[in-house]
Amino acid sequence: MTLSRRGFLALSGVAALTPALAACGGDARRTFDGIEYWAAFPDDAQREYFQAERVDAFTGSAPVQLTIKPSESIGRLVQTALAAGAGPDLISTAGPAQVAAYAGAGYLLPLDEYAQQYGWNGALAPWALAASRMDGKLLSLPAGYESMILLYNPATLATNGWSVPTNRAEFEAICTEAKAKDMIPVAAGNGDFRPASEWAVTFALNHHAGPTAVHEVLAGRIPWTDPVIVDAIAQLSDYFQRGWWGGSVEDYFTTGFPSMYASLASGEAVFMITGSWALSELGPYFGEEAGNDATWDWAPLFPLRDDVPAQVWDLGIGQTMSINSKCPIPDAAAEYLDFLETDPGRQAEGIAEVGLQPAPVRLTAADFPDSVDERQSRLYVELSNAATIGYTTWTFCPQQTDTELYTNFDKVFTDLITPHEYCAGLDKIFRKELALGKVPAAPAPDGLAR
Amino acid sequence: MMTTTTPTATTAARAVLAGRPERPRRSPVRRRTVVAWAFMLPLILTNVLVVLGPSLSALYYSFTDWSGVGEARWIGLDNYVELVGDPEFLNAFWHNIVWTVFFLVVPMVMGLFGAFALTRIRRFRLLFRVAFFVPYIVASVVTAAVWENLLSSDVGVGEAFGINFLGNVDLALPTVAFVNNWAWWGFLVVIFLAAMQGVDPSLYEAAALDGAGPFRQFWSVTLPSIRPTFMFLGLMTIIWSFLSFDYVYILTQGGPAGSTDVLSTLLYREAFASLRAGYASAIGIVMGVISAIVVAAYLIIRKRKDWAI
Repeated sequence: MTLSRRGFLALSGVAALTPALAACGGDARRTFDGIEYWAAFPDDAQREYFQAERVDAFTGSAPVQLTIKPSESIGRLVQTALAAGAGPDLISTAGPAQVAAYAGAGYLLPLDEYAQQYGWNGALAPWALAASRMDGKLLSLPAGYESMILLYNPATLATNGWSVPTNRAEFEAICTEAKAKDMIPVAAGNGDFRPASEWAVTFALNHHAGPTAVHEVLAGRIPWTDPVIVDAIAQLSDYFQRGWWGGSVEDYFTTGFPSMYASLASGEAVFMITGSWALSELGPYFGEEAGNDATWDWAPLFPLRDDVPAQVWDLGIGQTMSINSKCPIPDAAAEYLDFLETDPGRQAEGIAEVGLQPAPVRLTAADFPDSVDERQSRLYVELSNAATIGYTTWTFCPQQTDTELYTNFDKVFTDLITPHEYCAGLDKIFRKELALGKVPAAPAPDGLAR
Repeated sequence: MMTTTTPTATTAARAVLAGRPERPRRSPVRRRTVVAWAFMLPLILTNVLVVLGPSLSALYYSFTDWSGVGEARWIGLDNYVELVGDPEFLNAFWHNIVWTVFFLVVPMVMGLFGAFALTRIRRFRLLFRVAFFVPYIVASVVTAAVWENLLSSDVGVGEAFGINFLGNVDLALPTVAFVNNWAWWGFLVVIFLAAMQGVDPSLYEAAALDGAGPFRQFWSVTLPSIRPTFMFLGLMTIIWSFLSFDYVYILTQGGPAGSTDVLSTLLYREAFASLRAGYASAIGIVMGVISAIVVAAYLIIRKRKDWAI
């Protein structure tokens, strides 16, 4: 037989396409009969604790196999595996916006029947369950929740004769004085993580515009260009330009988390407006582990306008859990989800032992072991009793809007665009995503919290 | 090409003695052809799988609203129309042009003069070649981390000069380009040096006899002699400049305020942060088209000038 070039190329093409087409068959090759779960952890302590207390301790109808993935790539790995018709039985995402994308592709099993069976509607916070529904279907469970808080070093406040601010006037007075003393009023920066800018935007939206206005925006009833939103952005931009966030505009762009925590511990910075996840990251910078006698504490964020309630808890879902629609043992997976999510004692112990983000269950002081850091238990007890909730942008904004929100805010305080132009850009993208049904459901500020 | 073989009497006799029918022998030409294709097969298969397949997929998805998961909906040229009016795309595209011009000028000039200087020294030439080349083989993440600390406004050069190089929207792009250039120009030195060593020494002798100094020799002898290498590296510089990603992403992630955004960082953000894989594909196709135009232009020039490289 003679092999012509044309024949050879045809043969090569067929040979190359055969495995590709075979892979498109979607027959996920399972190597384990139990529940497959991929997860990422920030440190070994959390990983080891999770393996022992959340995986090995599960004695349900099927064993669990935990596969550790890198934090920075787990989202892409899961996405790729799902697109190939495979992936783990339990699908973890970073929030409802990602859930919406997976749900639209049919990758997720509706959980409503299991919610009924296990009583999840009563066990988990209504605001979090509401944000987990798409088109009325429960497609994920909120597995880890968080809130924005004000971190501070009590010694820094005491030394300078300041107290924790409870309103805008007090906050601005402290910032002005601190800046005059060449201190950093608010330790902040997006050098390590560009999306960190949306933490500040979340603060401005919920505590200047107010949660009611934000809720109206998320429902599409008022535009992002409404003066109440534009004013909030302009106010925040002004704070940045005064050098209150990170010390200066330029330093904000190059400051990373270690510098922020260290400046708070040393007294160089006065406050830090961040998420509750930070509590588990402070250890190396404060006290015995850091070789200093610095301490930290937290307080709820304060209103920046008189019309805004005194205490608004900007809540967010940092992790969701869903069941892969191709999972061959969905009942066992749901049983494991119930084990992971609903026991308050288990959630409290995870916080106390390694600072694991808890599922949004109602926690009381009695749920925590004696070993817990009182500052941590106080936070979650207060969150369980939150009367007014705010909206973290990474939870309640759809994906493209959220990316635009943190990418372009940097252009506002560098005077590349105006606050109104920024809001107009957001509105344009948000309207498009709203029309496509990509906006997670946002409960009313005081309607569903407990 | 058809080839035939004719059994000879000897081979037929051997076959009869062996009790089996004779298999026709392949001609040397045909055997060489099969061997050549066999050697190329792995590369062709690999390229079909990892280049051609994804390229065709990207082309298709660039006409869809694909999010990166699930079904893709055909939207025609919408992504390309949006690109034309997207200020972030235009901003990133402009940065790529600035980046390309920078790398066509600064490292090329440095590489040329560095290599020419090395041809003029006799001692430590190997040492200098190694010293220039080492930054090129160091992982970009390591180089970037080192320079990030060196330039830091807290502890580094930035503190000494009171400048935040990576935090200033006007300085960030040139700073990232500087760091990338530090790792890149030594590679050009080595390549240019190799080309210069191939220049006929009699040309320099003749130029010297005519009274040409080192600069005139460089301008009138060296440069014309290494023009194909120079053009080839210029071509690769343009292509690589439009693919540039690692140093930008590690040092600034496209910030501050988009001042270092290039097409590849924008593409990455659109695909994995905004979940707009279709739009990201359109950006990728534009990048591919730019590279194709550059390669085509080079090939045309090469054919006309009859260059060997």
